[in-house]
Formats: sequence, structure tokens, C-alpha cells
Amino acid sequence: MCGQFGSLTMADALERITNLVALLLETRAPLTLESIANELAGQYPPGEAALRGAFERDKAMLREIGVPIDSEVLGGSEAGRTAYRIDRRRYELADLHLADDERAALQVAVAAARLDEGRFGLLKLGAGGVAASTVVANVPELAALPVLREAAAARAEVTFGYHGAPRTLQPYALLLREGFWYVIGHDLGHQQIRTYRVDRIDDAPEMGPAAAFERPAGFDVRSVFPTDPKLLGDEVAARAVVWVHGQRAGVVVAELGDAAVRERNVDGSVVVEVPCANIDAFRSWLFGLGARARVVGPPEVAEAVVTWLRAMVGSR
Amino acid sequence: MSARRGPRPTIDRLRRLLVMLPWLMERGEVPVAEMAAHFQLTEAELVKELELVAMCGLPPFVDEMIDVFIDDGMVFTGVPRVFTKALRLTAPEGFALLAAARVAMQMPGADPQGALARALHKLAQALGDDALVVDGGAPVLAAAVAAAADDSARVRVSYRSASSDEASEREITPRRVFADRGHWYVIADDHRSGEERTFRLDRIESCERTGIVDESRAVAAPSGDDWFADADLPVARLRVPATGRWLVERFPTRSVDADGDGWLVEVSVTDERWLAELLLRLGPAASVLAPPEWVDLGPRTAAELLVAYEADGNVDS
Repeated sequence: MCGQFGSLTMADALERITNLVALLLETRAPLTLESIANELAGQYPPGEAALRGAFERDKAMLREIGVPIDSEVLGGSEAGRTAYRIDRRRYELADLHLADDERAALQVAVAAARLDEGRFGLLKLGAGGVAASTVVANVPELAALPVLREAAAARAEVTFGYHGAPRTLQPYALLLREGFWYVIGHDLGHQQIRTYRVDRIDDAPEMGPAAAFERPAGFDVRSVFPTDPKLLGDEVAARAVVWVHGQRAGVVVAELGDAAVRERNVDGSVVVEVPCANIDAFRSWLFGLGARARVVGPPEVAEAVVTWLRAMVGSR
Repeated sequence: MSARRGPRPTIDRLRRLLVMLPWLMERGEVPVAEMAAHFQLTEAELVKELELVAMCGLPPFVDEMIDVFIDDGMVFTGVPRVFTKALRLTAPEGFALLAAARVAMQMPGADPQGALARALHKLAQALGDDALVVDGGAPVLAAAVAAAADDSARVRVSYRSASSDEASEREITPRRVFADRGHWYVIADDHRSGEERTFRLDRIESCERTGIVDESRAVAAPSGDDWFADADLPVARLRVPATGRWLVERFPTRSVDADGDGWLVEVSVTDERWLAELLLRLGPAASVLAPPEWVDLGPRTAAELLVAYEADGNVDS
């Protein structure tokens, strides 16, 4: 009967699902599929298999948009049958008591960060329309982020693959730094605090039960996160000694600090100590200075750089 | 989300419907135009949605329908029933709201005690703890530049470019301020070249208003990888191995195509030295495919540097 308003099947499905939500919200006792089909007479296709198929699709769609559908297996005269209902307390959005200016500020924030899902969240919070923002930021949206945040908030463990190896982490926090999301927490396999790049996580993280751990009091993600990517690695900690041309000496000393300076030469050049626990990050830093920086020692680091250069020459 | 599929009309309409109904029920009556604007629909689209709603029944489905009708440009609804509250926030919605608020708190001019901070606090309480930390505030002058953009005010800046170490004076009219991969930029009308240019905010050393106000002009905010594409710069085409993933992730590229386990990438080249340093970082498995004058740039640069290492005497030659 909705056909006059557009595509027949689509309007039918939407109307039926809306009716289904109303039914499952209102019912006192959980309903079996048979009673649901009875209540929504004529809206589900006839035949056991077709009915079951259509209902499963509806249920999957509702779960996908976040409608919590409870199911239970009945006893007594209907023993073994599954019955469904929606718990209103878990369905409904709690009132956040947002003031108008707070709602408006969130609208601007979502416009500035340009996160698609945020627009829909705003509608739920009663904020409509599109706000404008002169200032915008490109924030990576990754499929793993919502579940990682939810797990961190609920103190639930997460498991995921990283570089092909399974990891179990008690996530403490997520950090956005220089355009990358990181998850930081206690790694149960390594028995220590670890940091993982979220975009390098292989698959969808699985979230365990809530309240599985305590986050250490006063945990500060910035203090455990290596501020220097050259320190972010699994290799043995090492420092390299690097000569830097006078044209770049000022910039490099400003970056590394005076304590890193070993020698200051009359021509303006300097010799500095640089962390190179992560040789890839170190090499990247070094070559960012082009010909104006060279490794002086230790020999194994100089050798690694020279080997790299020879391979480049050889690739000609 | 990044794994977003194509348009799925039924599910998108259902999501919206479950928000629209409580919103309408709370108000009782509202002009069609206002409701359409709120939900970012045209009036015709809204009317179509409401007509569908009016066909939906309410339990026990004897003859009671959701009570919605349109008359004389107004939407009316009767006694609120069943759909009185919006559906709770999903994990992706909650994440997006918190992340947007956290990111915006780092933006120039954000007030740590202002409305956004209060909203963030309430959201975090409702969602259990936001657990999000966003690093890296905007450079000091970002607030002044963003304010100038809001006013279309022409400013005099001192700018240090990447290729020369000396600062230059120029007048610009800021249009948009944006952050990408840890850096802040402003898109502005550059009155020295007469063109629109993009400047790194951390290279602007001073910024003063000239008193001139230009006409306001909308400039689209660039997103992802496209923002360097309009610059008038030579383009290098590179073959990058899997280990060069950081290039694809961190640098504004003009195009990226998968090629085996690596990529074919086009980058805008601001100067040859920059490209040479990039090639050193990418290493032996990367190569320049075009233009011809840069095909040999990587090996050439490595050879020059090797000569210097051998002269140092720290390595066996």
C-alpha cells in the first residue's frame, strides 16, 4: 500500500521494519517469529523459509544501525523456540542535557573534523543542519577506531592481528598524533605497555567483556608514548653520531637539544648524538638532511647507511 | 567510515526515521521548511518520508497509525507514542562526536572552558570515558590567521619557504585554515603572485592586519590527497615499494595506483633537492619513471653522498 510513494519493495521493507521496531518495543513478553508474523499480518512473505530469511535480514539491518534486539530461548509449552524483544532502556538515547551553545559547538566541531558518522550523531542529539567552519582538519576514519575506543572506555580487552601476529591488549587510550591514530595499552603477550598504529591493524578488533582490567591511576598517554619516532621500535636501543653541515646545524640542535651536541666546529657544523633504535626512522631522518648530514659512527650504523647507498647506485 | 559501502537507501532512511519521529513528537508541530532544513532534505523528500510514516501502524495494529499529517506548510503530530526517544548513539557515532570535539579543542581559538569543552565533558560521561587524546595544537599565529579568514581581512605576513631559508614579506587574504597529517596550512589569495596559494602556518613568522578588507570568497576545504593537485608544480612519477608506504600515507600525492605489492605514485615536486632527499629515504627499491631528467636522480644523489663517506674514511671503500 506504500507503492504510490516510490519503489514498492523498498517502501514495503521500510514500513515493515518500522512496524517491527514498534512491536518489539511495545511488547511485554518476548515474541516468537510466528507471533511476529501474525501481528504484522501480510507484511512478511508466506512460507517458512522466506519468512525466516526476510526476518533475519531485518534483524541484521536493525543490529547494524544499533538497535539492541534481545533474544531468548523459551521454555514451557513453547520450549526450544526463540523469542525477541527490544529493551527500551538500552534502545533509547539518554538525555545528555546539552545546552544550545554546547550543541552548536559540537556542530562546528563535526564540520571542522569532517567525520561522516558525526553528522548522524548530531541529529540524534537534536542538532541539525550543517555548521560552517573556516578551520578544518583531515582526521583519518578507520573501521577499527570505534570498537577500540569503546573497549578502552569499558576496560575490555581487545584482540587483533598486527603484522600477521595475534595480539591481546588492555587498551588504555587512543592517541591522534601527526595524522596517525595509535592505540596504547598493556600488551598481555609482551607483559608491557605497547603502542600500535591503528591503520596497521590487520583485521577488525574483537572486544571482550567489560571491566576486565583497571587503567593505572594517573595514566598519561603522552608520557608513555615515545615522542621521537626514532625511539619507536623493537630494535636494541642505540645512538648514532652524526655530522651536520652549518646550514642545518641550527635546526638540528633546536630539534635534538643542546645535550645532544658533541662538537661545535668553527665552520658552523656540529657533531650530534641521535637515537637510532629504529634504523628505518633514523635513516629517514638522516636523508631528510640530504648531503648535509653524514654518519660518523658507530661503524655498524655507518655501514648500514653506506650499504643502502651502494644498493641505490647499483640499481641504476 | 572508510569501509563505507555504496548508498543503501532502506537502511539510511530507517536510521533517519528513528531520529525524525522523536524529534517531531517532542515538538508537536513544525514548519515543513524548518524540518527539511534540520534533516538536510528537500521539502519534497521530507514529504515523501512523512507519507511513509503515516502508513506505519502502532501496536496492536488494529487501526492506529503513526499520527502525522501535513497542512498548510506545517507538519503536525498527535500524542507521542512508541518512538518518543531517539535511538542511542552507535559506537561509530560516539567515536566520531568525541574525536571531532577533541580535534576541535586543539584548533586555533578553542576555549578550554567554553561550550565545546562542556559538551565534550557531557558526551564523555554518557559514553563512559572518551579515552581519546589528540596531540599537537595549532601554531601560535593560527588563531590570528583564522580570524582574518573569517573577516576576509588582508594581512601582511613574513613567510619562510621550504626551499629558501630566507623569509619573504607578502600580503595575503586568508580563506581557509586546515590541518593535514600533523601540519597546519592556510589557503589564501596571495597578492604578490595574484594567485591562490597554500602556505604552511608554522612558516609564517609574523602576521599583521593591513586594514584592507577584501570581498569574501568561499574556498572548498581540501581533503585527503587532493589538496596539492592544483599547485603549478612539475610532477614526478615514482614506483614505490611496499616499504615506502609512509610516502603514500604521509605526503600529499597527486595520484596513487596499486602496482604489485607497491604503488605507482605521482607527486608534485617543489624543488629537485626535495625529490633527491625523498629518493634517498625510499632507497634502492624505488625508482623514478618520469620525467626523464629525474630517472637517474636517486642513484646520482647516492653516488655523490658515497664519495663523501669514502672521503671521511669511516667505511671501507
